[in-house]
Amino acid sequence: MDLNYSDEQLLLKESAERFLKDRYDFEKRARILASETGFDAAIWAEMADLGWLALPFSEENGGLGGGAVEVSLIMEAIGRALVVEPYLASVLLAGGLVEKVGSEEQKADILGGLIAGTSRPALAHAEWQTGFDLGNIAATATKNGENYVISGKKPLVLGGPFADSFIVSARLGGDAATGPDGAIRLFAVPANAVGLEKSEVKLVDGSRASDLVFTNVSVPASALLDADADTLGEIEAAYDRANAALASEAVGIMDALMDATVAYTKGRVQFGKPLAAFQALQHRMAEMAVKCQEARGSALLAMLSADAPPAMRVRGVSGARAKIGKVSRSVAQEAIQLHGAMGFSEEMPIGAWFRRLYAIENTFGTTADHLKRYGEIIRDPAVLSGGLLREPVHQPA
Amino acid sequence: MDLLMTEEEVRFRDQVRAFLDTHLDEGLKRAERLNSSFLADPGVGLKWQAKLNDKGWVAPSWPKQYGGTGWTLAERYIFDQECERAGEPHFRGASIKMIAPVIMRYGNDAQKGFYLPRILNGEDVWAQGYSEPGSGSDLASLKTKAVLDGDHYIVNGSKIWSTLAHHATRMFALVRTAETEKKQEGITFILIDLKSPGVTIRPIRSICGTHEFNQVFFDDVHVPISDRIGAEGEGWDIAKYLLEFERGGAFAGGVLRAMLTRLHRLASEPLSDGRKVIDDPLFMARFAEIATDVDANDMLELAAMSKVQAGGNPGSVPSSTMKIERSRIRQSICELAASILGPDALRWEEHRPLHELPGTSEIDEERKVASAVYFNSRSQSIFGGSNEIQLEIIAKTLLR
Repeated sequence: MDLNYSDEQLLLKESAERFLKDRYDFEKRARILASETGFDAAIWAEMADLGWLALPFSEENGGLGGGAVEVSLIMEAIGRALVVEPYLASVLLAGGLVEKVGSEEQKADILGGLIAGTSRPALAHAEWQTGFDLGNIAATATKNGENYVISGKKPLVLGGPFADSFIVSARLGGDAATGPDGAIRLFAVPANAVGLEKSEVKLVDGSRASDLVFTNVSVPASALLDADADTLGEIEAAYDRANAALASEAVGIMDALMDATVAYTKGRVQFGKPLAAFQALQHRMAEMAVKCQEARGSALLAMLSADAPPAMRVRGVSGARAKIGKVSRSVAQEAIQLHGAMGFSEEMPIGAWFRRLYAIENTFGTTADHLKRYGEIIRDPAVLSGGLLREPVHQPA
Repeated sequence: MDLLMTEEEVRFRDQVRAFLDTHLDEGLKRAERLNSSFLADPGVGLKWQAKLNDKGWVAPSWPKQYGGTGWTLAERYIFDQECERAGEPHFRGASIKMIAPVIMRYGNDAQKGFYLPRILNGEDVWAQGYSEPGSGSDLASLKTKAVLDGDHYIVNGSKIWSTLAHHATRMFALVRTAETEKKQEGITFILIDLKSPGVTIRPIRSICGTHEFNQVFFDDVHVPISDRIGAEGEGWDIAKYLLEFERGGAFAGGVLRAMLTRLHRLASEPLSDGRKVIDDPLFMARFAEIATDVDANDMLELAAMSKVQAGGNPGSVPSSTMKIERSRIRQSICELAASILGPDALRWEEHRPLHELPGTSEIDEERKVASAVYFNSRSQSIFGGSNEIQLEIIAKTLLR
C-alpha cells in the first residue's frame, strides 16, 4: 500500500498545471468557446507534443503506458483550467475502448492518429432511452453481404463536433445466426459516412456535443471492432474509467473554487476588514476545505479501483461519483455565495466551474444513479465489511 | 500508488484473524455490542487486555523497547481493521494512547520503568485531567493550582469530564504552578495517585444513561515532585504533544466500517410484518451516502499513513478533516440506526452495564442499545478538540 505520488508523477502534475496556466487562461477559454469551431487546434497539437494524448495507452500501442494516477493528474489540471477540448471523450473514452477491443490494424489506425494529434474518435453509444443502463441500446447493425448497415440515433455524443470517426454501438441483427436481439457490437464509422447526419448541440458548461442520426450507414466488415470480446462489459469498464477521470476533474475544480474563494475573501474589504476575518465565513470556508479533502480521498479510491474486479470497481468509481457529486455541488454553491454578486456573473470563472461541476454531475450517470449503483453493490455484506486494502495479484510465472 | 498488501502483510492479517477467532470469545463480543460508551466497560476491557498482553499485542503503537509491538503503520492499520471487524472491546483509552506516549517522550528512566509496564498489564488505569469546569476548548485558562512545598506539590482545584476516573488508579493532569502573563507558560504536567488523601470523585451521568464521566476534586492533595513530567512550566508543550496523539494517532476506518456492518444487519432483519428496512429506498440512499463517507475517510487515513511512512507529515487540514469527519460519520450511523427502531426507540433500559442483563437475541440486543449509542455519539464532535476548534485550525491554515 502506498498512496504517495512518485517524483515522476509530481513532475507531470506540475508540468500539466504550468502548461494550462500559461496557455489556457480564462480569457483564452472564452475565446475558444466563442470561436466557430469551439476547439483550439494549436492547444490540441501541444497536448500531443506534451505526450498527453499518448499517456494512457500502452507502449506496444504507441502510448506512454501511464496509469489511472497519471490520467487523474491531467484531469485535475483540466478541471481547474476548464479545458473544453475532448480529452476525456476522445482520448480516455473512445481511445481507451479501442485499445481494449480493437484489432491490431484498428488500433494502429485509430490510436496512431489520435496519439499524433491528427485524428480524433468519439464514442457514440448512449441513446435517449439508455439512461444509466448501458445495455439498453436500440441501434442496429445488419449484415448485408460483406458490409454492415447501421441505423439508429445517438444523441449528445461528447467530442462529436471534433471527431473524424465514431465508435458506434449497435445490436447485430437481421442475420439468422445472431437474431434480432443480437449482441451489442462496436463499429468504427468515419464522420463523413453517407447516411450519417450530425448536428451540433451546445452543452450547459459551454462545450459542444453532437446529435447523430445513422440512416442505413454502410461500413465494411473490417469496421467491426470486437469479434470475440465481451463488448458490453468493455463498454461498462470504459465508462467506469471515464467516471474515475471525471471524479478527478471535479476534484481539480473544487480545489480551484477553494483557492479562488480564499483569495477573494482575503482581498475584499467590508465593514473595515477583509471578509476572511469574519469567523462565520472562516468556518464556511473550512467546511469547504473538509469537502475538498474528502473528495480527494474518494477520487483516489476511484482511480485505484478503475481496473479492479467489477464489484471493487463499482464500489470505488460509483462511490466516488456519488460522494463527489454531493460535496462538489455544496462547495460550488458556497463559492458563489462567498463571492457575493461577483460569483453570480459570467465575468469570473466561479460560475464556469459551477456549471462544469453541474455538467459532470449529469455526465455518465447522475449523482443519484451512482449512489443507487453503489448501494446495490454494498448491500452485499462481504463487500460492505471488506476493507479497502487488497491482496496482491499473483502473476502466472 | 496502490492499495495492495504485501505477502507478509497478508500473512500478518491471517495471523491476527486466527488469534481473534480463537481468543475473542462471544461473551466479550456481546459485552462490547451492548456497550453504549466510547470505551469498553472496564471489567470487560481488562479481561480482553489480559489476553492480548499474553500475546504482546496490547499496545500496537508502542515501540518494542517499551513492550509494544514495534509494528509498521500498515500492520497497525491491518490489526485495527481486523480487531474492529471481530468486534473487540475498545479498551485502549487514556492509558495506552495518551499518557504512555507522553511518558516515553518526556518521562525520565525511573518514570518509564515504573509506569509503562503497569499500563501494559492493567495494574494501572489512567484518567485524563485536562478540562476544568471553567476550561474546555480554552484549555490554557485552567486554574487547578499546584504549589511546591519541599519535595511535594500541594494540589487544589478540580478536573472535569475525566472518563472512567472512578475506575482509574491514576490521573495525569495539567496544573498551574505559576501566574504568568502568557497563561500557557505557568502550566505543569503532573501524575496524581487517585488513592491520595484529598481526592474526591463525583460521578456525572451522561445523556446515554451511563456513568463514564466524573468531576474530580483536589483538596490539598500531595504529589511527589518525582511525579512531575518534564520541567515546571513545560506542561503546555506536553499537552499539545498529547492532543496530537488524541487527534491523529488512531484509525477510525475499521470501527466505522464495523458500525456500518452492524447497521446493515439490523436493517436486514425482517420486521413483524415481514418488511425489511434495507428495502426502503429512503433508508438505502442515506445508508449508501454514509458508506461513501466511510470510504473517503478511510482513503484519507491511508493517505496520511503513507505520508508518515515516507517520513512526512499528514498536515493540519487533512488531520482536522479526519477528526471532524470521523465524528460526523459515527454520529450519522448511530442516528440512522436509532431512526429505524420504531416503537422500540421509546423503551429505555436503565441498567448499566447492559451486558449484565440476561441474554436475548443479537438483534434484540442491538435494538436495545441503539438509542443509548446514538445519544452517546453526540460526544464525538466535542471531545479531543471540538469540531469548531478543528474548523479554526483549518481556517488558520487556509487563510494564512
